[in-house]
Amino acid sequence: MMEMPFTTGSREADAAFAGAAARFFDLLKAFAAQPSAARGQATDWSSFGSLLAGQFEQWLRSAPAAGASFAAAAGFPGAAPGWPPGAVPLGPAAAHPADAQSAWELLMKLGQLQGELARHWSAIAQDSAQRFIARMPATGGADLSSEGALALYETWVECAEAAYAATVRREDFCRLQAQLTNTAMALLLEQRKQADRLARAWGLPTREEADALQRQIRELRRELGERTAQATPRAPRRRPATQRPKATQGSKPKAAGGGRSRRASRVRRGRR
Amino acid sequence: MSDPGADAGRLFVDFGARVAETLARLRLARDVRVGSTPRRAVWGDHKTTLYEYLPERRAGAPSTGSASNSAARPKSRPLLVCFALVNRPYILDLQPDSSLIRRLVDAGFTVHLVDWGDPDDGDRLRDLNDYLEQGLGGCVRHILEAHGVEALDLLGVCQGGVLSLCYTALHPRQVANLVTLTTAVDFQTPDDLLSKWVRDLDTELLERAGNVPGELLNALFLSLMPFRLTQQKYVRLLTGRADQRAVEDFVRMERWIFDSPPQAAVALTQFVRWFYQENRLIRGTLELGGRAVDLKSVRAPLLNLYARADHIVPPAACEGLGRYVGSRDYTACAIDTGHIGMYVSRKAREEIPQRIIAWLKARGGELKSRRP
Repeated sequence: MMEMPFTTGSREADAAFAGAAARFFDLLKAFAAQPSAARGQATDWSSFGSLLAGQFEQWLRSAPAAGASFAAAAGFPGAAPGWPPGAVPLGPAAAHPADAQSAWELLMKLGQLQGELARHWSAIAQDSAQRFIARMPATGGADLSSEGALALYETWVECAEAAYAATVRREDFCRLQAQLTNTAMALLLEQRKQADRLARAWGLPTREEADALQRQIRELRRELGERTAQATPRAPRRRPATQRPKATQGSKPKAAGGGRSRRASRVRRGRR
Repeated sequence: MSDPGADAGRLFVDFGARVAETLARLRLARDVRVGSTPRRAVWGDHKTTLYEYLPERRAGAPSTGSASNSAARPKSRPLLVCFALVNRPYILDLQPDSSLIRRLVDAGFTVHLVDWGDPDDGDRLRDLNDYLEQGLGGCVRHILEAHGVEALDLLGVCQGGVLSLCYTALHPRQVANLVTLTTAVDFQTPDDLLSKWVRDLDTELLERAGNVPGELLNALFLSLMPFRLTQQKYVRLLTGRADQRAVEDFVRMERWIFDSPPQAAVALTQFVRWFYQENRLIRGTLELGGRAVDLKSVRAPLLNLYARADHIVPPAACEGLGRYVGSRDYTACAIDTGHIGMYVSRKAREEIPQRIIAWLKARGGELKSRRP
């Protein structure tokens, strides 16, 4: 059957847009409240710069994209939903004391690293504001027409991205990102260890056991593929399949480089 | 003399009206379709599906099999498109006027595409060799068999280009011509921010932590330029007085950007460790499935297209490819656009398809049929 691809349902396409629009209006408010100066006198942009820096720092702390990299995996502000999961509903006290100690240490370390990250966000915000103010006219206020406001906004974005890029490329920032991610992952695994202990107590399969089973299945499939390849003479060429085969549990292609999968073979047989 | 209070008032009224107008258009654009060229699945294995795209004039014709379908058309070597694991391939066929795939089909190529699907928890141990040999290799073998040819043309995109390079190195006789699009070969160039960020990642922990959700990787990509990619583009849409069509185009892109598949833990870990952290591809130390991947074994004619303003795969990461492969017929071309622009910009609509089509056609030659 013919298929028109990629027909999917609706999604909240305007949610992010509305959020950005709200922040844009906040920025416009800041522009509207810019300092004015008497004709010929120098304009004092310092309080305006502080306002912009404050807004930007707040955004950096809360925006998933800005806080992302792998560090967002920490499950803290800015984290992507779903990974890693939040703390299991046990509490470190329910675990073995040594594990609890380890989990607490990781939590403390994560908090400390988050503090370091916050300092970077603050520095980026300040740097952005300084770059922006440096590009403002020395006298008179900014143009508050629609085009003027947009030009101001574009300048602000350029300054913000330049300040961000200058910081996030530095070795210390890159190391911090990696440390955050590594600590978050270690904490996740520590939490899983506790969850596994509880699962074992309840007679439920643990992650380790599931992984061990998967490894066995992979190995068995590999062996099966190799033996099938050795046992089956190469079939004569047939016309190709036209329909996507239905997924069948347990089907597995031959091993690497070993020819077609059993599933594909089944389809070809079905066409005869 | 202007009154600052009145100016500010007018500003808010003007932008307020623009926001309301664009939001209304966005609501109408909720159900936009992505993908435009008719296609059908011709092979599948595990979560991987191989699609064959159909020429428009035959799209309504009864299904008669991929080889027979192409039999009525000028005979061309089949072309397989291999996209990245980290994004979905429909960006190459987003809409009729912005579809690399449609342009290739219209130019007479028999185009196939690998769709990797969504790995679940049962796939966390799936490794790069599985993707390469079972997934990409299975697709290649199926196409060669179905078309009765000894080799096909391979177009690898982004990470899919890396997989295509590896596959061509391991199976040089199966690839007649290779095209790479925004494909990194040197993963440690100074301007590669992604590379800097993952350099000190503990890959053992990453592997044990399990599959990585698409949302997380997506956030990682957006965080390379967060203010531009999550703020400015929306404000530009708002202030640009976009018509309904432009809004729908925008929503299609949004859907693609935020519709990233999860990543199998082991495969992702191997990619981070072997490519980003150890740069094995150009150091000649990469092994997949126990076999050394030697780029000098890539001797097929190679067209390397990359973007000059790419923030994900910097041009420096791509431009050295010619030094590492064994191809005598090597063409590199930098395009004046960014990473996403390579797929959907005006350049993508015009220059890139033209270059690929002309290059491939110039190397079409006589097909070596395996059929008697």
